[in-house]
Amino acid sequence: MTHMSSPSLDRELKKGSAELLILSLVEDRPRHGYEIGQLIELRSGGVLHFNVASLYPLLYRLEKRGWIRGRWVEKAGQRRRRYYRLTAAGQKTLAAQRDGWREFVAAISQITGIQHA
Amino acid sequence: MPDFKDPIRKRLAELSLSPMREGEIVEELSQHLEDQFEHAMQGGATEHEASQAVLLELNENDLLVSALKRLERRVQQDPVVMGSERKSNMIGDLWQDLRYGLRMLMRNPGFTIVAVVALALGIGANSAIFSVVNTVLLRPLPYKNPDALMTVWEDATHMGFPFNTPSPANFIDWREQNTVFEGMASMAQRSFNLTGAGEPERFDGRRVSVNLFNILGVEPVLGRTFRPEEDQPGSRVVILSYGVWQRRFGGDTGIIGRALNLNGESYTVIGVMPGTVDLPSMDNWNDQLWVPIAFNAEEAASRGNHYLEVIARTKPGITRQQAQAEMTNIAARLEKQYPEENTRVGIRVRPLHEQIVGDIKPALLVLLGAVGFVLLIACANVANLLLARAAVRQKEIALRLALGASRSRLTRQFLTESVLLAGLGGLCGLLFSFMALNVLRSFIPESISQAQAINIDGKVLIFTGLVSLVTGLIFGLAPATQASNFNLSETLKEGGRDSGAGSRGNRLRGFLVVSEVAVSFLLLIGAGLLINSFLHLRKLDPGYRADHLLTMKVSLPETKYPDKERRAPFFRELIRRVQTLPGVESVAVASNLPLTYNGDSMPIGAEGSPDPPPDQSPDVVLRVVSPGYFSTMGIPLVQGRDFTENDSPDAAKVVVVSEKTARYFWPGQNPIGKRLKPGSTTSESPWREVIGIVKDVRQNDFVAEPKMQMYMAHEQVGSFAANAVVVRTLVDPLSLGTAVRKIVWEIDKDQPVSDIRSMEEIVSRAVARQRFSTMLLGIFATLALVLAAVGIYGVMSYSIAQRTREIGIRMALGAQRGDVLKMVVGQGLKLVVIGVAVGLAAAFALTRVMASLLFGVSATDPITFITISLILMGVALVASYIPALRATRVDPMGALHYQ
Repeated sequence: MTHMSSPSLDRELKKGSAELLILSLVEDRPRHGYEIGQLIELRSGGVLHFNVASLYPLLYRLEKRGWIRGRWVEKAGQRRRRYYRLTAAGQKTLAAQRDGWREFVAAISQITGIQHA
Repeated sequence: MPDFKDPIRKRLAELSLSPMREGEIVEELSQHLEDQFEHAMQGGATEHEASQAVLLELNENDLLVSALKRLERRVQQDPVVMGSERKSNMIGDLWQDLRYGLRMLMRNPGFTIVAVVALALGIGANSAIFSVVNTVLLRPLPYKNPDALMTVWEDATHMGFPFNTPSPANFIDWREQNTVFEGMASMAQRSFNLTGAGEPERFDGRRVSVNLFNILGVEPVLGRTFRPEEDQPGSRVVILSYGVWQRRFGGDTGIIGRALNLNGESYTVIGVMPGTVDLPSMDNWNDQLWVPIAFNAEEAASRGNHYLEVIARTKPGITRQQAQAEMTNIAARLEKQYPEENTRVGIRVRPLHEQIVGDIKPALLVLLGAVGFVLLIACANVANLLLARAAVRQKEIALRLALGASRSRLTRQFLTESVLLAGLGGLCGLLFSFMALNVLRSFIPESISQAQAINIDGKVLIFTGLVSLVTGLIFGLAPATQASNFNLSETLKEGGRDSGAGSRGNRLRGFLVVSEVAVSFLLLIGAGLLINSFLHLRKLDPGYRADHLLTMKVSLPETKYPDKERRAPFFRELIRRVQTLPGVESVAVASNLPLTYNGDSMPIGAEGSPDPPPDQSPDVVLRVVSPGYFSTMGIPLVQGRDFTENDSPDAAKVVVVSEKTARYFWPGQNPIGKRLKPGSTTSESPWREVIGIVKDVRQNDFVAEPKMQMYMAHEQVGSFAANAVVVRTLVDPLSLGTAVRKIVWEIDKDQPVSDIRSMEEIVSRAVARQRFSTMLLGIFATLALVLAAVGIYGVMSYSIAQRTREIGIRMALGAQRGDVLKMVVGQGLKLVVIGVAVGLAAAFALTRVMASLLFGVSATDPITFITISLILMGVALVASYIPALRATRVDPMGALHYQ
């Protein structure tokens, strides 16, 4: 599914991190699926890549939890697209996940001696 | 551009989604693929290459379908931990939870230690008391089929003896007429002086029917039991108890067949019984040897002397009720046949086990209830701690919920943690109860059956395990349900770092405090009532001064001293010599000292009064004493004179009566000079003139009201020998024990001396049970009070920490320290007052079960109730004042910046 530089990190971790990535990307403004996929690839310098078969189930799941909300939007001169925006609950979750992730990374760094970038 | 919708639709087909949902997904995904396609084309790929690349991504591992299948079909079921596949792996989860729980406990050592100590005290107290209950109440008697063993009594309730010892003639009639018992055995106490082999020694023993041990179903560890032909006067065989065999004869297996000189006669040892033989007994009688009861003709015909104890085994299939019914019929028949002795005398059948444990049962049950309550309080405390911690752990809970942990899984996690905690508490508690039992054993009254056999066995271990498990579930339930009802967005909205679990959490904690207060109030009331009773008991005027009194038994053997003519010189000489010992103030002898013997009572007839019908004749306790007995014992002489040397066998027969006796027979008259005789006015005994009146003495029972009493001069009475020596000393009474014994042996080197005790020790033993239950309940109530105080303190501290900001604002707005103090303490007191009110209601209902343990205090004694309420409120006040004081030191600015 995804291509990460460190294949030893296990799947669960990736899935947890994937949620965090998506929530972060729709934080400042609503985005559609393709855009989200592109941004992940772009901002990770090509290290992370979501294909269609893994991205959308993830989006649907986040939507089901009420953390993001998808809406069909028609803009002038464009096809209608589904835009996802962060809900209030998603906002809190994102904050919590960020904290958790930060602690997790800090802990890993401390143990492994990897310096934070 | 190729059509991507069809391939997508094909893949979704097997999910059978609703058409609308399917349409949406197809549209969204196809758009994505089209974008990708265009992107690839722009990058210079051919149409074919681009289309292939896009479709490849869609196909990868069938991921789309499998991922959507989970999501779209099983909407309700979230994955367990972050992102993992849902698998119900109970054992794996449990293991994970245990490790996680252990880590959590180790991370908060302070919390863990407090919780484990509270639980260890609670669980340990339960294990300790349960092991007592287990041994004393639950363990079957060490006999064959013990449920069929009964004791049988004469029911003389009209005389105040619901369980009276039967007379030989009645016993023999019962044995011959009944069809419900397989066998009936009688026993009679008798003391034996062992002489001729080392130091003389006095033994408690019993004459028993030869079938006694067959009825019990116990085999001797050595030798044999009695044979039927040994049940006749003159048979001189003896069976030893295990204790005597070990102590006196060093466990010598060659003891069988040896001759022992007992009471001046030679008995052959035929057997040794195991140490488990534990027969019911009065007066702390401790069987050391047994001989055949072998009634002679005169004794067998005696219907008026009541001194036997009877054990019987019911035939298979006969219930206690059936046995009782038949014995009641027999009693009715005997009443008609022998109205003189048996008017209004019934028969009572009582299981042997009940007979042995009956007295101690209510006390043990109350104690068991009390430790249960202590454990409940400990549970409430730990639940409180857990609740407070759960509030702190909200971030963790929120995160785990957010990352996909299910609520049921979180609940399970919390329960695992609390059961783990309880398990640790249980282990420490077991250790604690082990130590507590060692202490307990030295306090437990000797008269409690099998007291020394109390230990921690498998049943106690299972009990402790169960209690720990249930405890963990009880105190874990509150935080766990709270965690599972946790509202993610609400919690996050309440914001703040250490925001509590909201008002619901506060209510729950408040409820716990109220229950703790109520339960500890209940325990304190119980303990207060018992302590009050005990104080009453100790303040009772026994009728004599127990301090500085040395007592001992010197029972002259009948063979060597058959009559008063031979006994009198012995005691005269003994008194003369002891009197000269330094440190001795006075000395006297008596047939029995107070609280050491229940027998020797009889009806009397007063000159000039008609004898009452037999069933209404009053029962007067007789003690035979030497001159100087009253002054030595410190029994005040109210009127008249004491016995003197002149009240010799040849002089006019005289008697001293107690105040109660005087009031009963000669109300409003001067009793001095009146005459009475034992039995009735028509009996053959000579008249005795009343020469003195003494205070009533608590002769038989320290607690019960004294009975009527009379005293006769020992040299004027043939049939009741002096047994006991009492010395009033100027020094520590026990320090003279050896010297007095030496004098006895100087007079007669074969004369045993036993039971060298101070009178205070005798009194102390008489109230040992009361002291035992008072002490234990006192300890438990104190424990409960401390735990409740800690609980109140914890809740108040926590609630103040939560309200720091509010308090800061109040103070910033001008609230004074006093206002804050009042507010916080008021909040604490409110909980306590509710708790006390609930406890009060419960106490009124529950202390009634203690009525049988109380003395001189009613179960709803207002003074106890008020005192305890005040104590509890005072403690609660302090427990909420300390955190309140801290609240007033809140720096308003700091508090506002907080968060």
